[in-house]
Amino acid sequence: MTIRRRFIPYWLLAPGALWLLLFFVIPMGFMAEQALESGSLFTGGFTFSWEWSNFPDSLSGNSEQIVRSFYYAGAATLLALLISYPLAYAIAQQSGRWRLLLLFAVIAPFFTTYLIRTIAWKTILYDSGPVVGVFQTLHLIPQDGRLLATSTAVIAGLTYNFLPFMILPIYASIERLDLRLIEAAKDLYASSTQAFLRVTLPMTAPGIVAGVLLTFIPAFGDYVNATILGGTHQAMIGNKIQSLFLVERNYPEAAALSFLMMALILVMVVVYIRVAGTEAFMGEEEEAKT
Amino acid sequence: MRNSSEQSHVRGWPGPLVAVAILVAALTLAACGDNGGSGGGSEAPVAKGGKPTGEVTISNWPGYIDPGANGTVAEFEKAYGLDVKYIEDINDNLQFFGKLQPLLASGNSGGRSLFVVTDWLAKQMFDLGYLERLNHADLKTVFNNISPQLRNDPADPGRQFSIPWQGGLTGIWVITSSEGNQIHSMRDLFDPKYKGKVDLLTEMRDTVPLVMQMQGADPKNFTKADWEKAIDFLKKETDNGQIRRYTGNEYTEDLTSGNIVAALGWSGDASLIGRKDVEWRSPTEGCDTFFDQMVIPVGAPNTAAAYAFMNFAYRPEVQADIADFVNYVTPVAGVKPILEKKDPAVANNPLVFPPPSLLAPCSADPNPPGSAEDQQAITEKFQDLITG
Amino acid sequence: MAASAWAWLRRNALRIYAALAVLYLLVPIAVIAVFSFAETPRDRLDFSLSGGFTLEYWQHAFSNQELTDALFTSLRLALLATIASTAIGTLMALALVRYDFFGRRGANLLIILPMATPEIVMGASLLSLFIFYSAPLGFTTLLIAHIMFSISFVVVVVRSRLIGFDRSLEEAARDLGATPVQTFRYVTFPLLAPAILAAALLAFALSIDDFVISNFNSGTTVTFPLYVFGVALRGIPVQVNVLATMLFVVTTIAIVLVIWQQRRAEHMAAVQPNDVGEPFAGTPAFPPAPGAAGG
Repeated sequence: MTIRRRFIPYWLLAPGALWLLLFFVIPMGFMAEQALESGSLFTGGFTFSWEWSNFPDSLSGNSEQIVRSFYYAGAATLLALLISYPLAYAIAQQSGRWRLLLLFAVIAPFFTTYLIRTIAWKTILYDSGPVVGVFQTLHLIPQDGRLLATSTAVIAGLTYNFLPFMILPIYASIERLDLRLIEAAKDLYASSTQAFLRVTLPMTAPGIVAGVLLTFIPAFGDYVNATILGGTHQAMIGNKIQSLFLVERNYPEAAALSFLMMALILVMVVVYIRVAGTEAFMGEEEEAKT
Repeated sequence: MRNSSEQSHVRGWPGPLVAVAILVAALTLAACGDNGGSGGGSEAPVAKGGKPTGEVTISNWPGYIDPGANGTVAEFEKAYGLDVKYIEDINDNLQFFGKLQPLLASGNSGGRSLFVVTDWLAKQMFDLGYLERLNHADLKTVFNNISPQLRNDPADPGRQFSIPWQGGLTGIWVITSSEGNQIHSMRDLFDPKYKGKVDLLTEMRDTVPLVMQMQGADPKNFTKADWEKAIDFLKKETDNGQIRRYTGNEYTEDLTSGNIVAALGWSGDASLIGRKDVEWRSPTEGCDTFFDQMVIPVGAPNTAAAYAFMNFAYRPEVQADIADFVNYVTPVAGVKPILEKKDPAVANNPLVFPPPSLLAPCSADPNPPGSAEDQQAITEKFQDLITG
Repeated sequence: MAASAWAWLRRNALRIYAALAVLYLLVPIAVIAVFSFAETPRDRLDFSLSGGFTLEYWQHAFSNQELTDALFTSLRLALLATIASTAIGTLMALALVRYDFFGRRGANLLIILPMATPEIVMGASLLSLFIFYSAPLGFTTLLIAHIMFSISFVVVVVRSRLIGFDRSLEEAARDLGATPVQTFRYVTFPLLAPAILAAALLAFALSIDDFVISNFNSGTTVTFPLYVFGVALRGIPVQVNVLATMLFVVTTIAIVLVIWQQRRAEHMAAVQPNDVGEPFAGTPAFPPAPGAAGG
């Protein structure tokens, strides 16, 4: 009886672990191998040669796009956070039907495809359109200025597209807030602001952490927004990798750059989780008993 | 509490180590595979002919064939009793090639029997051994009807691997009702008063030669220095915001919406631009011609059907339908008289049947000079430019 | 009085803000829907509505064969991928939350990694794998890829629900003589159902949406996003907007039905997960908010 019990988790885990192993880990191995190759397509193909120089080379050659991606993803994440937190709070305050409606409105954009959503923004932001007209009247952009093919459009696109990823985790953690704690704070003479800063915010931190990560990471690697809404100076690291893979066919540099990107992301995630102090993020303390 | 967290920590640590071990194993496994190109050119297999049956998959650029229930593909299916999967998934030569390259390198055609790429790419693919050679005996209709000047091709002497599909000219589209109407030359395009309202093409072999001609280089003999000088010039213009975007087909969208006043573009795209006040102009410094080619990839299934399609497309009546819709330059002789009866507007369109005066100052889109490495270096320099 | 107006504003500030934010979220969808009625000369989207309005594209919504094929391919793909990844992911979540075993940390890492990997990297590396094994690219390879990237999300969603799960109900069932299988079937699974459903919906949305990974691994199969990207460069047929709006409406109705069903089920069941009257309780769609709930 005890022996069988011990193997249950492995049986449960097996299909998923196998799948991920075969179709995620091993392909990464292939990419690792490509990152260490040298040569070129037209001069006899690629050969595996422990070409570690691919890594620093790809870093230096693409530093502009890396920095830009940080900036765009960071700006988009910040904007998304600022927009989402009050919205999540408002949703949590509602009850029943309104709450459902609002939650639905948040998830709804998901159900038109990502591309179509982004292309819709192209229609909304085109040069002779109403939005640009309003911005020009308000002198937010020069009279013959534009919104498309600028950094603004790309950041706006990123923010919009990943908003649900930010809202839902924050909402989840606000929803679980024990309101009695806030009442207790108020009973102890805390003002609304103090109650918010000292009780609500820290207690919803896990949701914020999750939201930030779920927004920043895909935004960092995105290239669709830059392609559709951007112009000549908005290329992100994802655009570069795509170009290296599909156009220049410089697979070693593309693979090296990809790994660098993943490494950067992992480092940021680890640092961020440490700083935000949510060891419980992995949910490991819970349910450790059988 | 303390105990259990210590315990789980100790128990858990092999996990990441295992993952790393697997990664290393995968690495060594993958090191056994290679990615090199196979023998090219004359060793390529000859595509087999025969009676066409069954299914066939064809890839082409969008808007390059007359569509619908009465379109060429439907007629082809009926004529031969075939099931055709016609996919318009080619938007950029290099991007399409990049997607297919890993497959073609291992002799796998990805299911396609025929696709259409521009002449220079066809040559590159053939040199890399990715295309099959064509048996002229199976292409009687083609060689009976092909325009005399296309019978031979400097990029494909004797037409070993490519059959022209449609051709065109690269020049400048302007919106006549805007200030772009004053643009007649490449030099005009770079006038600061059009800053941010001009698109160029991502096709290096369209954009750069036009700039080189603007800078006075000799189109019959572009040197490496010419290419580099032109790309440097473009970098300057891009950095100072003169160019709004580098595009593939999507310059038509920017023209439609009025986001730009002029763009480098292809002569046959009138039907894709959603406004009437546009005009295609040949730059005064010289223009650029190209011909897209039908090719058969290695490992293509049902090559008999591919041959049949090529022959079918070269029937003058069929070609007339295609030319009527597509509005590019047709490679088939004897189409003009048919169109003069059916659709005189198209028959008299100089962009569809270009007179020698229009073609004279044009040159075929060239490859950068030098060895494969040199070409790759120029390609990378240009790519750096357009991916900002 | 101005004072009371100001007070009203302050009280409802949050609500007004929420309304504005929601409006912002729905603007593109409205644009998509509105432009699906736009009359254009070349049957492709123009940027203005000056051509007038028409129902013709709705009447001939499925007349564009390629588009329709692409949409149905995507739907089929999403359905199969959802079923597979939800099943696999739920099992994994159960294992990770309820059992402590050797390699648990590693398994957790394995789940998190795909979410931290940019899609372009996953797509390109999968392509290398398929080429190496000379696998023909097409629907099957797409399916494999879609299942792969959905598993992680399913695990995270189901896991977050499992963490706050009240085990006493299962204990009660066992005390009453139910076997583990019966317990799972009659107690665990129904209570877990909302989270599994949320995970399935997420997996479905991810699959329908996916462009980058599909671009690398599709071969000659055309999915809906791939089709849209292709035509976006040359002018989008209006039917694309029509179908997108249809898709949106259908999924809306589906979600509404699901939620309505869930509320009925909760009213009938004797047990409620957390607080009373919280229909979305137990379905936080994303990583857990542990520590904040239930003390």
